[in-house]
Amino acid sequence: MPIFRWGQPWDPFQDLEREVDRLLQGVNLTLHGVRFSRRFPQVNLFELDDSYVLTAEIPGIDISQLDVTIASNCLTIKGTRLPPAEAGEDAFRRQERFHGPWQRKIQLPDRINEDGMRADYNAGVLRVTLQKAPSAAARHIKVNEGP
Amino acid sequence: MTDISDHNPPHESTSMIPAPENSSGEPRLLFNPPIDIYETPDGLVLYADLPGVDSEGLDLQVQNNRLTLFGRVTTDVPQSAQMLHQEYHIGDFLRSFILSDEVDHERIHAKLTNGVLRVELPRAARAKPRRIEVSGG
Repeated sequence: MPIFRWGQPWDPFQDLEREVDRLLQGVNLTLHGVRFSRRFPQVNLFELDDSYVLTAEIPGIDISQLDVTIASNCLTIKGTRLPPAEAGEDAFRRQERFHGPWQRKIQLPDRINEDGMRADYNAGVLRVTLQKAPSAAARHIKVNEGP
Repeated sequence: MTDISDHNPPHESTSMIPAPENSSGEPRLLFNPPIDIYETPDGLVLYADLPGVDSEGLDLQVQNNRLTLFGRVTTDVPQSAQMLHQEYHIGDFLRSFILSDEVDHERIHAKLTNGVLRVELPRAARAKPRRIEVSGG
């Protein structure tokens, strides 16, 4: 059974489809899904022993257009992704990439040390590292004896 | 005019298919990256979003009439990290296109910046419109 069927029976790329099918024969189909209605950018959040790490796929951003802020344990990233300046509106044959202003807010599960924030942008992936705040030391409360 | 055609329709563009296993035995995912294609006076320009791909991980080939882009994604999140929230999966990118003869294969030029690939596909000289002078009788 063909694994993929793209297009109509008259599709000129049938040979390619067959080739891809052939190449994929014997590949264990463990994961098969479709990413629809994507938010931009998509983010992942990880927890390490002493920090949280947020990664976001934001390809093609000038870092001067990238804004990362934190307030009340809520991390906000925002910016704008512009279409290529030389492309006119009617010049597009296909437009699948996101263009325009975007913003994401991510609530962090724990208190963080706002001085230990670090953000890096590399190959279109933003990575924000947030140090957890040292857990508050137990405080003794003096009990006063009543009169 | 069809200078370039995708060999999978747009609605399939975000489908994900499993890739062959890598050397460590971990199955890797393969994604179709989103693309833009627009026309300029000199030909076509293609953009593809390849977040996580650097120039070492990119393989761009033109063979016969097929332009294939493959981007290997590298990530440095430690294995010990616990995933709290996941919107995207880590995988490599693959997409291929059929180029018509109107594209000058020899002059295709590509650049990768901040995870975005830009490919210039210049129109072959013979495919440019040529004005024909008409002499009066």
